[in-house]
Amino acid sequence: MVANRDVNIVIRRGQVHAIVGENGAGKSTLMNTLYGMHRADEGTILVEGAPMTFQSPADAIAAGIGMVHQHFMLADNLTVLENVVLGAEKLHGIGDGARRKIMEISGSYGLDIEPDVLVEDLGVGDRQRVEILKVLYRGARILILDEPTAVLVPQEVDELFDNLRELKAEGLTVIFISHKLDEVLAVADEITVIRRGTTVATVHPKDVTAPQLAELMVGSELPTPETRESTVTDQVVLQVDGLTLSAPVPRGARPVDEGREPTTRRLLDDVSFTIHRGEVLGLAGVEGNGQAELVEAVMGMRPGARGSVELDGADISDWTTRRRREAGIAYVPEDRHRQGLLLEAPLWENRVLGHQTERPNVKGPWIDRAGARADSERIVRDYDVRTPGIDVLASALSGGNQQKFIVGREMSGKPKVLIAAHPTRGVDVGAQAAIWDHIRAARRNGLGVLLISADLDELIGLSDSIRAILRGRLVGEFDPAEVTPEQLGSAMTGAADRAEA
Amino acid sequence: MKTALDPRRLLIGASAPVLALLFAVAVTSVVLATAGKDVWLTWQTLLQPQDFRRALVLTINQGTYIFLSALAVAIGFRMNLFNIGVDGQYRMGAFAGAVVGGAVTLPTGIHVVVIILVSMVVSALWAGIAGLLKVTRGVSEVISTIMLNAIATSLIAYMLRRVQVPVAGSNNIGTKPIPGSGRVPGLGLVPGTPAEIYGLVFLAIAAGIAYHVLLNRTRFGFDLRATGRSSTAAVASGVDVKRMVVVAMLISGAAAGLVGMPILLGEAYSYSITFPAGLGFTGIAVALLGRNSPIGMALAALLFGYLNVAANPLQILANVSTEVVAIIQGLILLSVVVAYEVVRRYRIAAEQRRVAREVQEDPVDSDGSGPSPAEVRA
Repeated sequence: MVANRDVNIVIRRGQVHAIVGENGAGKSTLMNTLYGMHRADEGTILVEGAPMTFQSPADAIAAGIGMVHQHFMLADNLTVLENVVLGAEKLHGIGDGARRKIMEISGSYGLDIEPDVLVEDLGVGDRQRVEILKVLYRGARILILDEPTAVLVPQEVDELFDNLRELKAEGLTVIFISHKLDEVLAVADEITVIRRGTTVATVHPKDVTAPQLAELMVGSELPTPETRESTVTDQVVLQVDGLTLSAPVPRGARPVDEGREPTTRRLLDDVSFTIHRGEVLGLAGVEGNGQAELVEAVMGMRPGARGSVELDGADISDWTTRRRREAGIAYVPEDRHRQGLLLEAPLWENRVLGHQTERPNVKGPWIDRAGARADSERIVRDYDVRTPGIDVLASALSGGNQQKFIVGREMSGKPKVLIAAHPTRGVDVGAQAAIWDHIRAARRNGLGVLLISADLDELIGLSDSIRAILRGRLVGEFDPAEVTPEQLGSAMTGAADRAEA
Repeated sequence: MKTALDPRRLLIGASAPVLALLFAVAVTSVVLATAGKDVWLTWQTLLQPQDFRRALVLTINQGTYIFLSALAVAIGFRMNLFNIGVDGQYRMGAFAGAVVGGAVTLPTGIHVVVIILVSMVVSALWAGIAGLLKVTRGVSEVISTIMLNAIATSLIAYMLRRVQVPVAGSNNIGTKPIPGSGRVPGLGLVPGTPAEIYGLVFLAIAAGIAYHVLLNRTRFGFDLRATGRSSTAAVASGVDVKRMVVVAMLISGAAAGLVGMPILLGEAYSYSITFPAGLGFTGIAVALLGRNSPIGMALAALLFGYLNVAANPLQILANVSTEVVAIIQGLILLSVVVAYEVVRRYRIAAEQRRVAREVQEDPVDSDGSGPSPAEVRA
């Protein structure tokens, strides 16, 4: 497989250079090559004119290249200082020398970091700045940021961009990977577009508009998740009342002298909502605020959950996951590899997964191979799953095609409710539009949907109403026709509360 | 399981055990040479049994119970349960079967069925203890089954003292012999030798077929395999994983109850202190070698059975300890486990490449995959 070919990029010192492309276009592969995580088969990398070969990230770091990954790599139970010096103890020691250095870096780039705070007490934006500081501490002059805004709310994005401008002003170079075009246009000095693993153009942000950039990226117009005509009925299909879930706080997770020592922590706190036939209820929230727990509680996978869940008027609070699924709750899980697929099983066996008791997969106690296979073929056809056949292992498909298959499977058998967690995450633009169309079509036919997404445009575009979740509580109700991403962002982070503090 | 019989796939699949076998032969030869033994003579003795027909019968007999043991282990493996306790389970079952079989008088046939059922139930219950401990107290089945093996040994020794009768013509002790109505006659299928094949060889074949059908054709088997492949996905699909653990252990134990039956009902007729032990561990090796497939395990069981049989004259003819066979078996296992993993990874990568090529898609980039070890250094 060739993930990248004929990539030509010139990045100037003291600039923010954006690299844009769809999911799967090869951005991450390219950056991993620059960062020494794998080697290119052909071609050269020149840093300040000198050719480089990187055997490992250590070589890249030595050459002044640092990478901030999309998923933070910080130890929650250590302080900022400890996280920063971890693995770089030789540079400035682990004591006051390191602390001084951290303060110096933080001061000169406006990162606003306190070295002795525990990482677990930091917000997402702060953690990202710690990651940036880690890289600067190791002497990087070129920073690669892999989709840094994916985990941030709009306000935090603005803060990040301010930081990037500071870095630039100090003569550092930033490579900024993204597929969000407005952000790229706002912050970049130059933009390189990658499509199908190769560079297609390098442009200046003042010369292009977002739609033009999008066309370069996908070679066609961007789809939108708009759905304005309402199909909401007054028949309640899913009613959740007072759903509460507690988890014990691990001993030692908090310093003893802090005074607050709760033995349990509420993952879900009195969550109530109603979904009608034909309604899409969107749930906005920063990851880790109880979305995953809510979904699993509704699916019956969280034994400790209290409160009631009613499906079509029947109290299903005590039902097993299987019974809930049989009763018509479909489930597109957040993590398709962990919960949605048997990766080392052929595709057609994955058709059976989650529907082990339903036709056409089974006849009595027997697996109906012919039925399951025929229906797998149907899903592959109707949902445009790109695969040479239904006997290939699920792991062989690209993420987008795996997701299309899962959505197709869950839409089978006329579900009453669909619980969709990030249904288009990691899916390319074309597949995204197809998944949206399928959800919209099912909604017209009376499907009730609980939609959880980190993509605020998707939430606003698909939902009939939006709730925000913060620390396990539903904190606001919004009309998608009027709400802006900024308003949602405030609700998701509790910005209003914070302003008072 | 694979419906498409792709010759390339078969070739790759077969290459691992064959390479492992060659590797084991090579290393064993080095060991023999280092010990100053006659390498050539050793292999000659192993590969050319003096009485071929007799060796064939004995190989099939050994293969029968080794195969049953492997089946019991494989049921656990398919669910990611490491049932090391097959050894204790089959001995508990066989002992209980022998006691009951010697104590009752029943019509021919029914007597046999009763003994087998008693053995299966007792073995299943013994295995069920480990299953219950795992789901209620979170005790790893590896630990509990190892301990249950030790407890079984002591418990059987204790109970044997209570029911013992002297075995005629020796100072061995055992349970009261099972009368004729509870015995399964041998089959003189191989002409030219007085040795007979266990009648219960058909039980082993039936068990192999039942195993295949249960796991691959039924809903229950699907749930079991799904749990083994990904317990998180199984939970999300509605499988009650705790119940599944207990049920799988019970079935694995019930299969273990069959292991002692060919010997008990076809040869020994009583459970004495010389009743073979350790077959559960051979079963683990054979299940690994046969990759949990009924055909693979049958071939592996016959191979291990043959090695055991052919080892007997080594001491006399080649002045080599019969334990050299244990070295060979161990090496086969060690290398085959490595080889299977290599082949498995190669296969997954090859399939990904093939699919990417055939669908002519955009290259998959590494978005969404977990951090690689290399990233942690940054």
